[in-house]
Amino acid sequence: MKRLLILITLTARCALAQGAAEIGPVLEAHALDSAASINLYLPAGSVRLIAWDRDSIVVRGQKARNARLFYGAGPRSVKMGVENISRGDSEPSHLVIYMPRHGRVSVRTASANIVGEGVSGDFYSSSGNIRLSGVVSSVEAEAMNGSLDLDLTTPWLRARTGDGHLLVRGAPQDVDASTIGGTLDVIAPKVMRGQFVSVSGDIHWIGSPAHGSVFDFSNHTGAVDLTLSPSASAALTLSSVSGSIENGFTRIRPIASPPRTLRFNLGDGDAHVTVRTFKGTIRVRPE
Amino acid sequence: MTDQTNQPHLTEDERHTAADGTLPAERRAYVDAHLAVCDECAADVARIADFMKRTHESTSSPSAPALAELWPPIRARIEAAKVVALDTAGPSASTRPFVWLVAAGVVAAALLMAIVLRVPPREQQTSAVAQVEAESTMLRAVADSTRAYEAEAQILLDRLEIQRATMRPDARAAIDRNLHTVDVAIAELKDAIVRDPNNPALRQLLATSYRQKVELLKRANAS
Repeated sequence: MKRLLILITLTARCALAQGAAEIGPVLEAHALDSAASINLYLPAGSVRLIAWDRDSIVVRGQKARNARLFYGAGPRSVKMGVENISRGDSEPSHLVIYMPRHGRVSVRTASANIVGEGVSGDFYSSSGNIRLSGVVSSVEAEAMNGSLDLDLTTPWLRARTGDGHLLVRGAPQDVDASTIGGTLDVIAPKVMRGQFVSVSGDIHWIGSPAHGSVFDFSNHTGAVDLTLSPSASAALTLSSVSGSIENGFTRIRPIASPPRTLRFNLGDGDAHVTVRTFKGTIRVRPE
Repeated sequence: MTDQTNQPHLTEDERHTAADGTLPAERRAYVDAHLAVCDECAADVARIADFMKRTHESTSSPSAPALAELWPPIRARIEAAKVVALDTAGPSASTRPFVWLVAAGVVAAALLMAIVLRVPPREQQTSAVAQVEAESTMLRAVADSTRAYEAEAQILLDRLEIQRATMRPDARAAIDRNLHTVDVAIAELKDAIVRDPNNPALRQLLATSYRQKVELLKRANAS
């Protein structure tokens, strides 16, 4: 076991040689099941989770002076966190964790920022920002008022924030994203099922909907702005209780235009797009 | 017997006159406002209206309009609810499976309604009743989900009150700010529903806002 630890530590040191000094010393390292689950709590600072193709975990970083790292591990799971020793606000700790690619993480922070690279799991921060990227099996990311930047290739993505900015890009397939007041931007051409909701934040969607995809946009006072490729093929149903509907595809003749609703097809109407607002403006225009 | 707004429920007479459209003008505003907030009375009035319609149709069947006369408005309503319009020259190859799926779904829904309601197997009755029932079922379903979200939101709010003292001030401020935004939206939607109680879009937006509130409270409780 001791040899294994030394080997892992040496391997990790080689892998992390570049910039290791800035990252900080190895705090923990050991073998771990490739599909292990990792639970982490970090109040302040930052945590960067990096998936790698090894059956081991390495934790590097700098913990705050008034904090201690608690760490419990078995072969299939790890529970770790940083907690204050003294009273008062938490000082920032900065962790970098290398974990098995097929593992799953559950991270919770108060104000600490979270960065994930190829890591699946649940990410929650109260006021910290969350930035996730890579190919993952599924992700659930939530913040109270932090911003989310999700550049993922995944079959399933769920994202929530309050005031923060939510950016969905990459190639997720099934997306459920919402904000309260934050702006929601979507640039993800491979979405097959998308639900995008806000209360007062604007929603922007740019691209060409995939063949057979289904989108549902809902907003209360915020605008919904769809910038579609001229070659887009979609059936659009736009309705607003008291907001205006602006159609930039002036050459397209609407199928139906009852009060406060507009229906029209682009191309063969392969994708289905529904937009509903209370008093937010709906804009549809060509790219 | 009162509803959640502590107003007394509508009398039997008010329910029947609301259902058959003979409500005196001076009572209409009050009754409409009550129906907008009382799901129990609204459901009862919808049931009475449905029953009256069916009774009327069955007693007047000898002189009932021909199927050809009934079909155009029904078709117009189906077309209006469609995401993809039927091409008059027939569906394209790419949309044909979806159109068949929609058609199969409509037929299945109509059959299900007929079984549930045990409607006499006459085509014209089934179609008309299914349409009316589908609309009221949708409104009821949205109202039910809104009520469920409302109840869950209250439980979460109670929990949040207990946790509030231990929260960081900035987290507390963020929660309050977001809750205020959602509550304003909910209040506006409720007002709009009082003015236009049968607008399904308003009820869907209200259900969405409540879902937002519940999710926000869950996040707040997790913070």
